[in-house]
Amino acid sequence: MRKLAVCLLVLAVLAGVCSAEEGKLKTVAQLKTERLAAQRGTVGQFLAEDLLGDKKGSLLTTFEKYVDAIAALRQGKVRAVVMDEMPAKRFLNEVEGLAIMSEALSEENYAIGFRKGNTELVGKVNEILAEMKANGTLDAIFAKYLNGDYSSVKPEDIDFNKGAKGGKLYVGTEAGFAPYELRVGSGFIGIDVEMCAYIAKKLDRELVIENMNFDALPMAVSTNKVDMICAGITVTDERRENMDFSENYVVGAKQVAVVRADDYEPEK
Amino acid sequence: MNPKSKRYGAGRGDVLLWLVGACLLYLLWESGFFTAAAWQDFNRRFYQNFVKDDRYMMLVDGLKATIFMTSGATVIGVAVGLILSVIRVAYKGGVPIPLLNKFAETYISVLRGTPAMVQLLIWNFTIFASARDLNTQYIAILAFGLNSGAYVAEIFRGGIESIDPGQMEAARSLGLSYGTSMRRVILPQALRNVIPMLFNEFIALLKETSIAGYIGIDDLTRAGQNIQALTLEHSQPLIMVAIIYLVIVLFLTRLVRKLEEWLSRGRR
Repeated sequence: MRKLAVCLLVLAVLAGVCSAEEGKLKTVAQLKTERLAAQRGTVGQFLAEDLLGDKKGSLLTTFEKYVDAIAALRQGKVRAVVMDEMPAKRFLNEVEGLAIMSEALSEENYAIGFRKGNTELVGKVNEILAEMKANGTLDAIFAKYLNGDYSSVKPEDIDFNKGAKGGKLYVGTEAGFAPYELRVGSGFIGIDVEMCAYIAKKLDRELVIENMNFDALPMAVSTNKVDMICAGITVTDERRENMDFSENYVVGAKQVAVVRADDYEPEK
Repeated sequence: MNPKSKRYGAGRGDVLLWLVGACLLYLLWESGFFTAAAWQDFNRRFYQNFVKDDRYMMLVDGLKATIFMTSGATVIGVAVGLILSVIRVAYKGGVPIPLLNKFAETYISVLRGTPAMVQLLIWNFTIFASARDLNTQYIAILAFGLNSGAYVAEIFRGGIESIDPGQMEAARSLGLSYGTSMRRVILPQALRNVIPMLFNEFIALLKETSIAGYIGIDDLTRAGQNIQALTLEHSQPLIMVAIIYLVIVLFLTRLVRKLEEWLSRGRR
């Protein structure tokens, strides 16, 4: 009898929780009291922390991979995922029932990261980046990926400058951030990868990609495990304290909140 | 064939398999898997995840890395474990090697007292920070092997201590030195006792290598994550990875059981 009573009580509570219908999301400001997710170590995480303030401990969940964060969103474990706009758009194309809130959380610039004090390499890379911007190479690389369909891009077609005389150029990245970097078969494609390939060629070095978790990248570059890290890394003042950055190669990349389409009602 | 051992050997494993199978079927049925539309969708995603562009090769390559690391680490683990356990047992048996014994004790308590994940990161990013041309898999083998050595040492010590002290006394009284008695009399018997446990350690190690992705090794787990990043699909790659691990572990478990039977038959 007591067991039955307990069961009924539990059921009643569950029913109460489930039926407490929440209103749909309308603005980014509403996210301040919602459960959010982000990829660990990304600017998305920092933005979500700022948004939640004191409540970040209980409301923010960080994941190692974007796919995990989006899965949590779809299962209703979180209400929004804070992430970069370009990968977010790719999720919208491939996964049903998602939406991007029209209001962006912030706009960021991407640059290549170096070990603090490695001014020689930063200088060289900056020169090459300037050249790529001037002669249209960078625009051409972006154009190749920006239409969203890069199934025709093959890793074999990217020249890693094998056997270069100047040694190797180790680049750390997290290859789950299309269109910037993506692992395909046993190789890599993406904007960052092609850009680094060009840089390696100009430096007369062979490009070696080290595919790590995003939150391990700063550690890898500061311990000299890799020469530079290139993974759509947002330049922030906090990061500047611990590493050096090249000139920006992406300006105004939006940070957005991805939500469930049926949970979102854009303001007209 | 011994009828008793046959009943034991075949029965249990099969019941377990059927149980796992039944659970999977139930889960699939629950999620509306057995409808035509769902089946088509499943096929489409299966094609995307594993067939298109030979993506299953990513899993095959990952499996190779996993098996390579596990095998290498087992060799190191057994060697280290054997040495450590002999040191500890010999010290207990009256051989004056207090320093070595202290070292072995410290080694075991430090490596067993810290998570393998943390050790792996320390090996890669601190100790081998400047070794960039070294294949990361070798670092992982070293890290997992030395870690496993601490556990294997305890397995061996148990095995050696399970041999009747009378054996050692008898060997010594025949005029054999301590070393020879250990090598020729005690260890062969102890080894036979611990072989099943060593296999279990191998199985545990196989699963433990799944954290190698953290230092940029595309092992089986990481290969599944790489496919996830490619197709943005969450469940199928992970479940496939789980099935591969499970099949290997079940196969090895069966092997251990056969080995146990074989070893105990020789004893009669």
